[in-house]
Amino acid sequence: MDFYFGLLQIIGVHTILGLSAYIVLLTGQVTIAQAGFFAIGAYIAGMLTVLAGWHLVPAMLVAALVAGFVACLVGFPALRVKGLMLVVATTAFGEAVRLFWFNFDYQIAKGDVQVGPLGGEGFKQIRFFPENGWTTGDVALFIWFWVAVIMAGLWWMDRSRAGAVLRAVGEDELAAQSVGINLTAAKVSAFAVGGFIAGIGGAIYAHYTTHIEHANFGVILATFAIAYPILGGLSSVLGTLLAVIFIQGFLVEGLRFLGDWRNLLFGALIVLAMNVRPRGLIDERVLNTLRRTFSIGQGGGNA
Amino acid sequence: MVDFIQNTLDGIFIGSSYALLAIGFTLIFGVMRRLNLSYGPSIMLGVFAGTLLYIQLNAGLLVVGLATVVGAVLAGLYVERICFWAVRRGAALASMVSSFAIWMQLEEAVTIVFPDRTYPFPPLADFTLKLGPFWVRGEHLIMFICASLLTILLHLLLYRTRFGLAIRAVSENPTAAKFMGINTGLVVMFAFALASVIGGVAGYLIASTDQQVTPLFGLWATFKGLIAMTLGGMGSIPGAIAGGLLLGVIEAQSVWYLGTEYRDLVAYAVLFAFLVFRPGGLFAQKSAMQSRLAARRV
Repeated sequence: MDFYFGLLQIIGVHTILGLSAYIVLLTGQVTIAQAGFFAIGAYIAGMLTVLAGWHLVPAMLVAALVAGFVACLVGFPALRVKGLMLVVATTAFGEAVRLFWFNFDYQIAKGDVQVGPLGGEGFKQIRFFPENGWTTGDVALFIWFWVAVIMAGLWWMDRSRAGAVLRAVGEDELAAQSVGINLTAAKVSAFAVGGFIAGIGGAIYAHYTTHIEHANFGVILATFAIAYPILGGLSSVLGTLLAVIFIQGFLVEGLRFLGDWRNLLFGALIVLAMNVRPRGLIDERVLNTLRRTFSIGQGGGNA
Repeated sequence: MVDFIQNTLDGIFIGSSYALLAIGFTLIFGVMRRLNLSYGPSIMLGVFAGTLLYIQLNAGLLVVGLATVVGAVLAGLYVERICFWAVRRGAALASMVSSFAIWMQLEEAVTIVFPDRTYPFPPLADFTLKLGPFWVRGEHLIMFICASLLTILLHLLLYRTRFGLAIRAVSENPTAAKFMGINTGLVVMFAFALASVIGGVAGYLIASTDQQVTPLFGLWATFKGLIAMTLGGMGSIPGAIAGGLLLGVIEAQSVWYLGTEYRDLVAYAVLFAFLVFRPGGLFAQKSAMQSRLAARRV
């Protein structure tokens, strides 16, 4: 049973990571910085629970706020550039964050052991869950509570004016600007919310793995973060969830019996999925069919 | 002062290989307007093809070099067919994600065949020149000369042949190029092959300077190429050259004055500063300013 709870935890955390990139991608910005915000959330929440003895939930929210604030700060200069330049800029930022934690030491004695982040060796012994007697089932439930909250929040935002503004910016910046949308405000707030969500994901990740190090937050993780929403489709938050289940559940865990050959097939299957469905697994058509079937919203318009 | 000049020299020599990587990226970005994350990994595949011949058959320098370039071209064409040709127009993000997936695939393929961390690669030259107070490593000099020759050849190809004209036309405006009777699909494929040739040569020069190769080379090459291209200015070949040399010099100076652990941090900081204060890079500033002015007028 623990195996399945573990899988649920991985899928949950990666869904949060994917959703953090989803909102930025809605504005048409491709960002490779999400792993950086994820790392900030992980390290800060870990330090707050381990070094300062906080409860996880306030630690997580503070860490997410810090990540969101950093995202806001980075957003202003980074969003002066677009397209490929933004990819390069956010890659540079994400790697700079990783290198920062690589060089960061802050340890205090707790009992007879030293705890805290220690540069290249990473941050060990983030033992909030075992110390408070949470079982893997409890942790999985906790993670999925947050996944549900974030998905519901983004779903609601998508249907509100804010979602329309973000999508307008993503479709055509010039047109959006000419109908009076403030591009900078839209992009920076999407960036900041994305950073906040990534911070929550990072905080949870640090606590369920109990050991984090800079190498966990490299460019591969950041690329996965944007791959989920793109593979799943930007029409709905459900796409991201489906893509995470497809990649983490099926391609990574389900094909584990293939051993070393897994990644070969892994790449081929993602490419196949993108060839067959260039607009994502859940695109507008599928979404409309779903809407009609369950008759949510306007009973299926031509969105 | 001697140290500073020596670092600058070393930086320019190393930077000439970054410039080649950046030129490859520029060519691909020029004709496709899409990001190919698999560019570095496809070069890595070529480098490992070279090292395979070296280990198994103890092949000579020329054979290894040829195998590297051929391997890189084959891998590059594989990437082009699967991630760019097959994915429909208008789905640039799908191409990028596909190229990421192929990157993982190429890296996995190489680690299955080569399970160890590092493998030897034949050195090009083993001599050191002394020019006044400055030292020049032989392989650096060869790297610089090869890179310069290749750049001149590329310039001739792009500006003196019909094929070069076709590449430039497709970069300028794919639709108009198509109406003029240019087979854009073919041109894109050849541009990819050309970028892979350049990348293969760069990979060969870098690997023979390091005298070893690792599966991490792919990620490394993608990074260096992208950063160098961005420093110089997107879509400009002189910019790519200048950006590559600048990146080499920045790295050499920061290793000398701050230490190895700050090399990448300094490079990222400079890159970020460039993006903020001079978003067009060294060479493409004019077009960047024009598009910004156009946005401001709205």
